[in-house]
Amino acid sequence: MAEIVGAFATPHMPGSPGLAKQNPESDTAQLFGAVRSHLREVDPDVLVVFDTDHFATFFYDNLPTFAVGVAERTSGPGTDDWPGLTCYYNDVPLSHDLGRHIHATGIDHGFDLTQSQEFTVDHSIIVPLHFLNAEDGRMKRPMVPVWVNGIAPPLPLAKRCYALGQMVRRAIDCWPSQLRVGIVASGAISGDIGGPKAIEGQPFAWPDEDWVTNVVERMRAGEIDELLNEATADRLRAAGNVSGEMLNWIALLGAVDGRRPRFLEPQLTGGNAYGAWRWD
Amino acid sequence: MSVYGINKVCYLAQQDLNFREQLRREPEKALVGFPLSEDERRAFLKHDMAALYRLGAHSFLLSRLPRFESMGLSRAEYIKSMRTLLTDDERRALEARGQRS
Repeated sequence: MAEIVGAFATPHMPGSPGLAKQNPESDTAQLFGAVRSHLREVDPDVLVVFDTDHFATFFYDNLPTFAVGVAERTSGPGTDDWPGLTCYYNDVPLSHDLGRHIHATGIDHGFDLTQSQEFTVDHSIIVPLHFLNAEDGRMKRPMVPVWVNGIAPPLPLAKRCYALGQMVRRAIDCWPSQLRVGIVASGAISGDIGGPKAIEGQPFAWPDEDWVTNVVERMRAGEIDELLNEATADRLRAAGNVSGEMLNWIALLGAVDGRRPRFLEPQLTGGNAYGAWRWD
Repeated sequence: MSVYGINKVCYLAQQDLNFREQLRREPEKALVGFPLSEDERRAFLKHDMAALYRLGAHSFLLSRLPRFESMGLSRAEYIKSMRTLLTDDERRALEARGQRS
């Protein structure tokens, strides 16, 4: 049977691949590197990525609350996804079988995911996988994207995202294949892009550092119920218009089954955190 | 009323390279055919980002407009317009935060 062997969470700032190349000593490069080391030591066969698309894969004409990719391959990011993004992968292998299995298991458990069988992915998947999963310019392990709407209100409830993570864990547990699965969560804890509080000359606002600190402390202490109660729509809105990305972290928490992080560091200046959960 | 139309313009500014270029060079022509009210159309052309925000447009999507110089809009104009939405207290807090860094 398949099993989860580790879980890994990072932000996805589009400038970070370029920054890390230019300045390997930067905090951002070091923090991504630390999570990558954990992933490489655990060395899963396949990754399930909880992600929030930024109006690239989906738009308001058709915008799922939860969706799973069921395909053989994808690519991304698409059209000029973000200025400063220096990496593009034209061949990102997916695990079609695991995607289909998660979709079917969700339906069986009352979790009616949307499926997409043809899609591209944006920087929110490419940037974390560039750091965690790329070897010699190619994606090493196949993955399955599981999208959570963390950007276009109304957002799903935190407890529902936690239940999504639990369902994915059950799906992996009952997958009749000897595969070792890694969970990845992509996203900031606090971020606001293009809102009235944007910093002069920048597209983003100052992050909500109190919220980031609180979320990190709750995860370190294993205070999951408290976190689920605090992560309300109002609190996420107050933390910024992309702060719903932390719902991907909540889904990861549902998949790690109460385990504490082996590694978890906030990066307050960016409203971010970096984490690794290990089973060994 | 037609917030969808505002968001759609911002979406296509990224997804469709031909539309992006037309929105930059010939904004009036580019906006023909979108489900926009006259007020919304005027707000695009007059770079009144605050008005589009108040109408309910998603700020993440709006922020694509200065990135692509849509309608000739600059980043500085964008920020200036959006900041008119702040209360005096919020503006002072933002300025104070900027000076700390």
